[in-house]
Amino acid sequence: MRRILPILLLLLAGQAHAGAVLVMNSGEASLSVIDMASQRELKRIPVLREPHHVMLTPDKRELLVGDTVANEILAFDPNTFELRRRIPAADPYQIGFSPDGKYLVVNGLARAQVDIHDAVSFKLVKRFPLKSMPSHMAFSPDSASVFITLQGTAKLAAIDLRALSVRWIAETGPAPAGVMWHNGRLLVANMGSDDVWVLNAATGKTERKIRTGKGAHQLFPSPDGKLIYVNNRIDSTTVTLDPATLNVVRSYKLPGGPDDIEFAPDGKVWFTLRFVHKVAVLDPVSGQFSTIDVGRSPHGIFLNAKATPK
Amino acid sequence: MTGWFDAAAGWLQESLLLPAMYGLGLMEWEDVSFGWALFAVYGMAQVVVTFALCVPLERWRPVEHWPDSKAVAVDVLYTFISRVGLLPLVTFVLFYKLQVGLNGFLADQGFVPPTLERLIPGLLGHQVVTFLLYVIILDFTDYWRHRLSHVFNWWYALHAVHHAQRQMTFWSDDRNHLLDDVIAFVWFTVIALLIGIPPMQFPLLVLLLRLVESVSHANARLSFGWLGERLLVSPRFHRAHHGVTAAGYVSVNYGALLPWWDMIFGTADFSRSFAATGDPTAEEALATGSYVEQHWVALRRMVREFGRG
Repeated sequence: MRRILPILLLLLAGQAHAGAVLVMNSGEASLSVIDMASQRELKRIPVLREPHHVMLTPDKRELLVGDTVANEILAFDPNTFELRRRIPAADPYQIGFSPDGKYLVVNGLARAQVDIHDAVSFKLVKRFPLKSMPSHMAFSPDSASVFITLQGTAKLAAIDLRALSVRWIAETGPAPAGVMWHNGRLLVANMGSDDVWVLNAATGKTERKIRTGKGAHQLFPSPDGKLIYVNNRIDSTTVTLDPATLNVVRSYKLPGGPDDIEFAPDGKVWFTLRFVHKVAVLDPVSGQFSTIDVGRSPHGIFLNAKATPK
Repeated sequence: MTGWFDAAAGWLQESLLLPAMYGLGLMEWEDVSFGWALFAVYGMAQVVVTFALCVPLERWRPVEHWPDSKAVAVDVLYTFISRVGLLPLVTFVLFYKLQVGLNGFLADQGFVPPTLERLIPGLLGHQVVTFLLYVIILDFTDYWRHRLSHVFNWWYALHAVHHAQRQMTFWSDDRNHLLDDVIAFVWFTVIALLIGIPPMQFPLLVLLLRLVESVSHANARLSFGWLGERLLVSPRFHRAHHGVTAAGYVSVNYGALLPWWDMIFGTADFSRSFAATGDPTAEEALATGSYVEQHWVALRRMVREFGRG
């Protein structure tokens, strides 16, 4: 009875499961579904091989998950997390839609290629072999360009999405990972060093370097635009930057290798922790955080405060 | 149980592997480093379990006593090169690269590459059952690889390095000519690609198979009983394969993990007890020579066999 009672209470509450988080367990071929309110893992959805990243379609009707080693993209219902269809795709590591909704860009990290697909039909429009290890991406707000970090060769490639050609390839720090558009500039997190480089988006020239921590990996703007979060994998920290000055505002220690981030409506920040197989929920005001066990090597994360998983 | 391995691999990755990669400027490989850490943890566990199991076993009920064990020393060298050295890492990376290339090509043609779980959708989400099925399939194909290595004269010329050992112990499992190892790797890889083994499981499969193989080579008077011997390859069963009367081109008990394939294809022999091991037809250098001598003599023999057509 002691076990049944909480379940009954949850059922009676009706909305208890409203709000859920989907986590890509890249090391064990599954997706964890977490109830936001109770911060408990509800179930694991099996997939074929190695799910890494996740992206909503422009119409927000489907949630795409890239399974790299299975060479397929899985399309889920973003509200129920039910699988709707499977789409063959070569090595879909990082996926992203251009802001105008015209293209789906797929970075094949292991195959050293960037595929530009039609966002509606998913038909391949053009492939760019880019050495090497195309990792993260950022779009210019006008959808004219997509910028791709080349993790293996310490470069950043700018692809012109109108001419479908490579516009420039610029030097970065070692092992560049996350890249973010920021007021006509690009912020590039260099995993092989402890800094974020600021590049001119038009020319690719480096203008400034900001020290954030060893293993600078990924950047995320907060929903209110008041902060930029930078995760540092080796130091296991996340630091916040002031978007106006790009100076470090605050640093949080998050042991376990913080990777991807989602922002909850209640102000909490959800992180995947790759090395300890957990998700952390950080209160950025107090600096306190709790953790939730998930599968091996959790990578991408998707939060929907209105989701009711089935 | 796997939770401990995961935790250990996570600790290894965060505390040792990534800081070392950061220091060496190898952070571009960060994303696959968990696979390496997991591989290392399982590898270390395998070595520890093999030692913990086989050393007392060989002392408790040895089949043979030798005045000295000089011939065993070279087998220890084989083991370190094969298991603790870079070989497992290289094979893992090579397999990963091959799988990415082939499967990506298939995906480009509009096909989701083959996997057992696509063939039998009920397997999705049942990783242990799927893992066991992969083990059975790989063991079946390995039976044929091993059997063929006794059929073709040129191939057996290499494989004779493994059979020439007269002082067979659990160390002898890795006593293989490097070229024979390469052929085995290619064989294993082609099969693994065809049935879509995930890279993260591939090293675990190899490690599991090799643990049983180590035990089956032990110098131990150990049988698993009438039923047990028909379920899993025992030291007694495998010793018959290494027996002096079974060495060479026609042998028995080729199975590495499961004796089922020998039973099905008529090569099982449960009648022999603990025979003396070795290959009387092999050159003495293959039995007692150094690591380099064994490789050279076997290679020369292989070329000779090719010359004979």
